[in-house]
Amino acid sequence: MNHNFIFVKINFVLTRIFLTGIVLFLFLVSSAVRAAPEPWKSLSPAHQEALAPLKQQWDGLPEVQQHRLLKTAKRYPSLTREQKQRFQERLTIWSKLTPEQREAAREKYQAFKKVPADTREEVKQMVRQEQENKAKQTTDTDPEDEQ
Amino acid sequence: MTTNLDSEKIAQLLTQSSRQLDSTTLSALADARKNALNRQTVRATTAVLSTGRWTHILIPHSGRQWLVTGMLVAILVFATGYWQHALEQQISEIDVAILTDEMPIEVFVD
Repeated sequence: MNHNFIFVKINFVLTRIFLTGIVLFLFLVSSAVRAAPEPWKSLSPAHQEALAPLKQQWDGLPEVQQHRLLKTAKRYPSLTREQKQRFQERLTIWSKLTPEQREAAREKYQAFKKVPADTREEVKQMVRQEQENKAKQTTDTDPEDEQ
Repeated sequence: MTTNLDSEKIAQLLTQSSRQLDSTTLSALADARKNALNRQTVRATTAVLSTGRWTHILIPHSGRQWLVTGMLVAILVFATGYWQHALEQQISEIDVAILTDEMPIEVFVD
C-alpha cells in the first residue's frame, strides 16, 4: 500500500514535470519568435523617415515598443501627407506614454469608433471648436505668461 | 446484561457457539468469509491502480504517442504564434489610427 502510494506520487511529479516542460517549451519558442532589439542604425531608410522624431531616444526604448513602432511605421508610406504630418507630430508624445496609458488610449479609441457616426461627428466638431478657441487664446495672450 | 461481557468473553462465546454449528453451516460460513476477503482485496487494488493510471495517461509511452504529442505541441505553437501576430497587427492598426486621426491624441490619452 505504501509502495503504491509512493509510485502514484512519483508518477504525479513526473506528469507535472512533463507538463511544465511543455509550457516552458512553448514559452521559449514564442520568445524566440520575437526579434531582438533593433538599433537605429540598422533600420531601413523608410523606417528611419517614419520614426525620425524618435531618433535620439530609439535605442533606449524597450524591445516590445520598438517592434510595435516598426509595425506602425510600415503603414507610413501609405498615409496621406496630412496624416504623415500628424503621425510624426504625435509620435514623441505617444512614445513617452506608459504601456498602460497606451492601452487605455486604444480602448478609448475603439469605444469612440463604436459611437454612432452622427454623434461622433458632433464630438469632432466640438473638439475642433475647442481647438480653435485655444489657438485664438494663445495668439491673444503673451507667450511668456503661458510659461 | 452485557455489562459483564468483555471482548475476550464474546470471542469465547462465539467460538463455543460455532463449535455447536453443523459442518454444512460452518463450511458455508468459511466460504462466505473467503469470498468477502477476496472481494475486499480486489477493491483495494483497483483503487490504487486507477489513480496511477490517471496520471499515466498524460505521459506518452510509445513512439506514436510522442509523435501525437509533438504534433499537438507544434499546433499549439503555431496557433499561439498566429494569434500573437494577429493581435500585434490589430494593435498597430489602432496605433496608426490614433496617431493619424482628425481627433487630437489628447482626447484618447489621460
